[in-house]
Amino acid sequence: MSAPITTADRFRLLNALGLLAVGAVLVAAFVDQIAFNDLPCPLCILQRAGFMGVAVGLALNVKFGPRPSHYAIMILSALAGASVSMRQTLLHIVPGEGAYGDAFFGLHFYAWALILFMVCIAGTACLMLFDGQFDKGDNGVPAQRRAFAPFGVVTIVLVLLLALANGASTVIECGGGLCPDNPTSYKLVDDGTIEHLFGPVLGPLRDLMGR
Amino acid sequence: MMSLPFFGAFLALLATLSGERMIALILWVVSTAVLLALFRMHATSPLNIAL
Repeated sequence: MSAPITTADRFRLLNALGLLAVGAVLVAAFVDQIAFNDLPCPLCILQRAGFMGVAVGLALNVKFGPRPSHYAIMILSALAGASVSMRQTLLHIVPGEGAYGDAFFGLHFYAWALILFMVCIAGTACLMLFDGQFDKGDNGVPAQRRAFAPFGVVTIVLVLLLALANGASTVIECGGGLCPDNPTSYKLVDDGTIEHLFGPVLGPLRDLMGR
Repeated sequence: MMSLPFFGAFLALLATLSGERMIALILWVVSTAVLLALFRMHATSPLNIAL
């Protein structure tokens, strides 16, 4: 007979869904970068890193069960990301100052990021209202020791791959140093490093695509 | 250098999957500290706003 579903289990599922939502935000940013050649600026990259911090808090809740410290990680990461997006929003808030990147449903990505970080903070506070998720089970076993659902593993692996992809993309764009304020191209593509490292793989791919 | 917060988060998520909670927490602290340091390095000019 399987163990009954507890409040903690339900909140682990909610956190897994939150992880999927954060993953969707990061995928949307990636699609804009690759499909529309909208290169992320340094502040844009740091905002993505803020979302990644929120994802770490969510993943800890999914794997080990909900804990106040994991929710604190989500709030602190969202505050760090919101600080960056607020600065970028203020940089462009005065009419005539210009903007960075494409608009999406009327707002630029940094304005969306600020809204989403606020949603993260408010959502985390709402989740923390339910004390029952922090209780131990009827058998005295803490929630974090209970079976780990496969769905949770899938969501964590998805965000883990996104972290790796964002890291690799940032290295290709900026190399080992700081990124330029207004990037127009990928540094490691321009200086031939990518061609030198992956030329034997990229050549046949180009032939296949008829380029 | 700007990729460090992502690789830190990647390792933190890997530690989470492996059941190493304390290592994941330490990696998150390091990643967030690097993020804030990089933000400080990029926020150099004053904002053209009156508060």
